[in-house]
Amino acid sequence: MSGLLRANLRTRLTVLYASLLGAALLLYAGGVSVFFLHNLQEQLDLSLHRDVETVEGALSADRNGELQISSREGEADEDDLDRGYLLEVWSADGKLLYRSEQLRDQPLGAVPTGSPDSNRQHAHSLRLPSGMRLRSISRVHHLPDGKAVIVRLAVSQEPLWHEFWEMVTVLGIGLPVTVILVALTGYLVAARALKPVDSMAQRAARITAEQLNERLHIENPDDELGQLGSAFNATLARLERSFDQLRRFTADASHELRTPLTAIQSVGEVSLQMPGDVSYYRDTIGSMLEETNRLTQLVDSLLTMARADAGRIQLHRVEVNLFDLADETVGLLEVLAEEKHQSILIDGNRSISVTADRTILRQALVNLVHNAVKYSPTNGDIRIRIRETERDAIVEVQDYGPGIPPEHRARIFERFYRVDKARTRAEGGTGLGLSIAQWAVSIHGGRIAVECGPKPGSVFRISLPKTVSTVTTTAGHD
Amino acid sequence: MRILLVEDETKVGNAVSEGLRAEGYEITWAQSGEEGFFHASSQGFDLIVLDVMLPGRDGIEVLHTLRKQGSRTPVLLLTAKDAIEDRVLGLDAGADDYLVKPFAFAELSARLRALLRRNKPEPAGVFAIAGLEIDPIRRTVTREDQRIDLTAREFELLEYLARNHGRVVSREMLARDVWKEGGRVTPLDNVIDVHVARLRRKMDDPFETKLLHTVRGVGFTLSEDGS
Repeated sequence: MSGLLRANLRTRLTVLYASLLGAALLLYAGGVSVFFLHNLQEQLDLSLHRDVETVEGALSADRNGELQISSREGEADEDDLDRGYLLEVWSADGKLLYRSEQLRDQPLGAVPTGSPDSNRQHAHSLRLPSGMRLRSISRVHHLPDGKAVIVRLAVSQEPLWHEFWEMVTVLGIGLPVTVILVALTGYLVAARALKPVDSMAQRAARITAEQLNERLHIENPDDELGQLGSAFNATLARLERSFDQLRRFTADASHELRTPLTAIQSVGEVSLQMPGDVSYYRDTIGSMLEETNRLTQLVDSLLTMARADAGRIQLHRVEVNLFDLADETVGLLEVLAEEKHQSILIDGNRSISVTADRTILRQALVNLVHNAVKYSPTNGDIRIRIRETERDAIVEVQDYGPGIPPEHRARIFERFYRVDKARTRAEGGTGLGLSIAQWAVSIHGGRIAVECGPKPGSVFRISLPKTVSTVTTTAGHD
Repeated sequence: MRILLVEDETKVGNAVSEGLRAEGYEITWAQSGEEGFFHASSQGFDLIVLDVMLPGRDGIEVLHTLRKQGSRTPVLLLTAKDAIEDRVLGLDAGADDYLVKPFAFAELSARLRALLRRNKPEPAGVFAIAGLEIDPIRRTVTREDQRIDLTAREFELLEYLARNHGRVVSREMLARDVWKEGGRVTPLDNVIDVHVARLRRKMDDPFETKLLHTVRGVGFTLSEDGS
């Protein structure tokens, strides 16, 4: 059985179907046989009754009281016991009056005793000592002179059984042949139906990380295999996207790491070749340390994101009032805005709270406001608006900066993605601020999006579900 | 003050022991867990700086055994991974403090001082540095008898610099101790720089002697000579 369970699908299906069919046919054949046998017996019993009446009509007694049988037509003859009836007639006091010769002294039952009526018997089967099977009936008949005799009539059951076994034989041969034929056909049909699986498996086996652009060929997208194939193709598409992101991320990350490393190396090499005084060397070393700090910050950010990706950051949820959070964020970053003669305005509903990890959520807001200050021109205002919809609490950060061209909007939250490569790097920052913000929002089950502002500029919108969701995904790049 | 440094990386070990010697500590440098454990259990130290990632016997293990033997020497762990588990593991094993690599030397030095003066109250009096007087209780600052008005944040910044008078403090130390920001991911460097610039405008610009200096690539220092 365990071998069968391990066999391939089409064999298992075929065996299963064949067994079911065999069992059903067996049941059917059994039912038919029983019914058939019953019918044959009923017919036999009917003819038995007819015969007994005919025979009774032919019985009479002569003057001496001897039994006379006027006609013996229909009685079985010597050559063919299976045709015609066999007869016994007994007197009420247990004397044998007549017995068909063909019975050869074999009785059709015990010697009758007691009252004649107690010897009535419905049609029943019996077997002669010679082995012959009979169907027999026993009745009490009153001769014209009023004397009661017991008439026992029997017909052979052999033709009946013969007919029955013939039918059983036909069924017994036909059934396995049918099952085998159906099983073979079924196997072929299953093999044909499952053929796409083979080709899909072969194709899937060829797909490696380098060829994720390959897809399975789908013959019929509506059948089960087609659905399986489509699901597999969708998985491949997601994998391909993830691999692409990973590849791009690795390339970007090494570029970001290489930039400070290059600076350290060239600054160090050049100053080693130049004769200089103490302050010159101090300056050189300081410059190298600045790059080291940049590297450290970058590595720390990467580590944070890696831990977030691995789902190893746990949320410590508390009630967070969004207006207070915005206020606190502004308190932290206000000096930067003041340096650029910008003002940061907060307006909206003061009473909106969400259940969130304050530190992580604050990180998202700090990053957004920091960006807004960085990209807004001198004297530009930054607006933070707190509002709510039926389902979400919303924080919007609006700046009057240059705005983000539509073609960049979709990718602005990707790690290291920069709209203007040269400019942003000069302004510092790790290139991870927005992706960290996105992660911080999505880990709370919220969304972050960017839109065009009313004037040139952008609106970054954080939407957080008001009811605590059980989302624990670590979506950072989805 | 005798400090045992257990660190297997030669460059880091060299730099740290030289830096600490320059600050007047007496340093014993062990380059493996076994060696470190041998020194720690055979001699008395005032403090142990213990790297976690050591070949053979790692720092946590060494620390665990030392604590089991009843040693109460303060221990500062150096961990390479900024992972919560590591910190918890370290503090559970009996560490008094930890520092994540890469660390600024100024920070290491500040942490060691803090551990060494543990249980001794901080000097609460008025700081006086070259005519600059800072009163932490009344929260007033005067320089050459002129009163200087500072915002709360500027005062805390100046007080912190004054407490570390003559030593360099890193932006990271300021972010953590003055701004109370834990992670290194929050972009606070610009914020700190602006506050330092404003503080300098108020307390240094009107006077001839400059006290608040930027040490490029490291941080800031409050001192008379500007080194």
